[in-house]
Amino acid sequence: MKRKMVSVMLATAMLVTMLAGCGSGDGGAAGSAGGSTAGDAAGNGDTSGSTDGNGVSDGEQITLKLFSNLPDRKNGQGLVEQTIIDEYMVENPNVTIEVEALDEEAYKTKFKAYSMYGMPDVVSIWGQPAFLDEVVAANVLAELNAEDYTDYKFVEGSLDGFTYDGKLYGLPRNTDIAVFYYNQKMFDDNGWTIPETYDDLLALADEINAVGITPVAMDGGDGWPLAVYLSDLLYQIVGNDYADIVSDAFADSDFSAPEITEAVELLKQAADAKLFQNGYDSQDYGTAMNLFTNGQAAMFYMGSWETSMATNEDIPEDIRENIRVFTMPAVEGGKAASTDIAAWNGGGYAVSANSEVQGEAVKFLNYMYQPDKLSKYGWENGVGLSAQDQGDYLTGSETELQKQIIDILNASTSLSGTPINDCGPSTFKATIESAIQNVSNGTTTVDDFLSIIGTSCQ
Amino acid sequence: MEQAEKKKSGMTKGILWIVLLMVAVIQIFPLVWLVDFSLASSNELFTSGLLIIPKTIQWGNYVKAFVDGHFLLYLKNSILINGLAVILVVIISIMAAFACYRMRWKLSGFVKMLLLMGLMIPIHATLLPNYKIYSMLGLTDTIWALLLPYVAFSLPQALFLMTSFMESIPVELEEAAVMDGCGIYRIIFQIITPMLKSSIATVAIMTFLNNWNEFMMASTYLNSPKWKTLPFSVLEFTGQYSSNYAVQFAVMALTAAPAVLVYILLNKHITKGVAMGAVKG
Repeated sequence: MKRKMVSVMLATAMLVTMLAGCGSGDGGAAGSAGGSTAGDAAGNGDTSGSTDGNGVSDGEQITLKLFSNLPDRKNGQGLVEQTIIDEYMVENPNVTIEVEALDEEAYKTKFKAYSMYGMPDVVSIWGQPAFLDEVVAANVLAELNAEDYTDYKFVEGSLDGFTYDGKLYGLPRNTDIAVFYYNQKMFDDNGWTIPETYDDLLALADEINAVGITPVAMDGGDGWPLAVYLSDLLYQIVGNDYADIVSDAFADSDFSAPEITEAVELLKQAADAKLFQNGYDSQDYGTAMNLFTNGQAAMFYMGSWETSMATNEDIPEDIRENIRVFTMPAVEGGKAASTDIAAWNGGGYAVSANSEVQGEAVKFLNYMYQPDKLSKYGWENGVGLSAQDQGDYLTGSETELQKQIIDILNASTSLSGTPINDCGPSTFKATIESAIQNVSNGTTTVDDFLSIIGTSCQ
Repeated sequence: MEQAEKKKSGMTKGILWIVLLMVAVIQIFPLVWLVDFSLASSNELFTSGLLIIPKTIQWGNYVKAFVDGHFLLYLKNSILINGLAVILVVIISIMAAFACYRMRWKLSGFVKMLLLMGLMIPIHATLLPNYKIYSMLGLTDTIWALLLPYVAFSLPQALFLMTSFMESIPVELEEAAVMDGCGIYRIIFQIITPMLKSSIATVAIMTFLNNWNEFMMASTYLNSPKWKTLPFSVLEFTGQYSSNYAVQFAVMALTAAPAVLVYILLNKHITKGVAMGAVKG
């Protein structure tokens, strides 16, 4: 009996190994067949196995792996990225770039997995402590030579978020500004004026509500736009002390500073004054944006990346041609000038420290940041402002909205830097983005909210 | 008297029908809603009404789903991986159930416990350790990277269902088979397996439905499009800030279709399987 068992087990083991052998053989064949259908959008996926572990020398076939947070390769920023990749492969026929793209949450989870093993050569990163602190500490990113980039016309201060101890670990892709988009025609028809102060804004809310229109469409369901709004207010209150106050709060895990309390109260006042739509605290990005683009809301608080609304054919013409912007109005007693705006450099790219083809990876990175690539294509596709000087690409045929945004940025006297939700550890980000709705709608008190976010970063 | 009873039973039947109809409507409505929204344009989605009547029916959403979403490749992968997972789970769970419940050996109780303990392990806790193991073994981005965890995580539940069902099969049957000179594998595959039909259907459908929509493991263990499964198709239309919802609805409708089909095909057996397993267990 016992012998029989052993022989059965051995036979099973043999069968399994044989199956495994057949399976991977099949896999290779099916994969290459599949690769030809899937390859057009996402680069070629069928060569990954063959290049693993090959040493790379000049002129040899090189495979670069790019891990991107832009899964949609046919629109917006994803299209810009893919266009540059395709151009690079045409100019360098010996280089194949494989793209793997996941959206934000899945991207961050997989990034953790890659940190342990097999980080792709070029990766998307965020130049914000919530993301980058842990990543830099894990030593997975290669140091870049800052002097190489003096000619790349990066906007002043935009590399700060990517620099640790004087070492540069990545390059920023965009400059994002928090703005109120508003419907100019609706404002003119009703005799509304652009608010000069925060109190004006709240007073305007009553006027707009009186005619049955939502004043500001707010994506409160996601949490981060409210956190940006809060940061924007805090910046208006304290001006250039913003960074110090925020970092002090994180150092002590104590957010009860009077300035922060005031900012939270101003946020609450906005909700109390019915500045946002009904149910703003659970509605998502698309819903909020749609309120504005359908003409049901007079304003929309969002980042400068949405300037492409002006050219979006899905939006009715009399609305899309009348979209204009203004930035957060001054808060009474606030230290910020009207030209001080909430802006930051979020996403960007970096190179893996353990890449076997690091030289080529850096070469590709530099190629993307050539002034006529990411910046220019981004500008032409209306995906927002790059972190580089875009002055050379103004064609004169920009939409009014684009010109206005660029004017705001050019006229700015100082920028806020990273919004508060991205300034701390990732647990803090998660906590503030899920707690901020409750403080704005009055479910939690301001003090409770401040202590909740304080404990989350201990 | 008899007539009154008949009347009464007629009335209860009526009430029962109404209740069941309501339940059916509630169950089916999401599917109707899904198909309805998949035929509208992205801008029409944001209405206050429950359903929308699209101005023009947007078949283009489905075309986009097929072409840009690589639907056919992902469908092939999904069917292959899920099919293999179902077959493996069924075979292994029958054999394991037989070994743990019908064969007497020293560690049978322990092994049974060990396998059932798998029910308590949350998938997310295993994500990163498994990733490390797979990459050291060179399994990432192969079909095994999905097949192994899909089978492993479905097995405890399958074993649980199989054993409770197997206990209802009289031992005398096996004794008779042994008397007639049946070997152990013949007992399992020719005597026991045919009698487990409805629990096999239950296990098959549960394994299939659980793994059909699985995304977390697939996104972690796969890099290239080679073995990506259907949930990735939705992702192709996810923008950085906002997404093409209408096409995503189309992809989801297409993704749901095979699962619904499988359910309809096996439906007859699943209710029987669950009920019988429950009573006899």
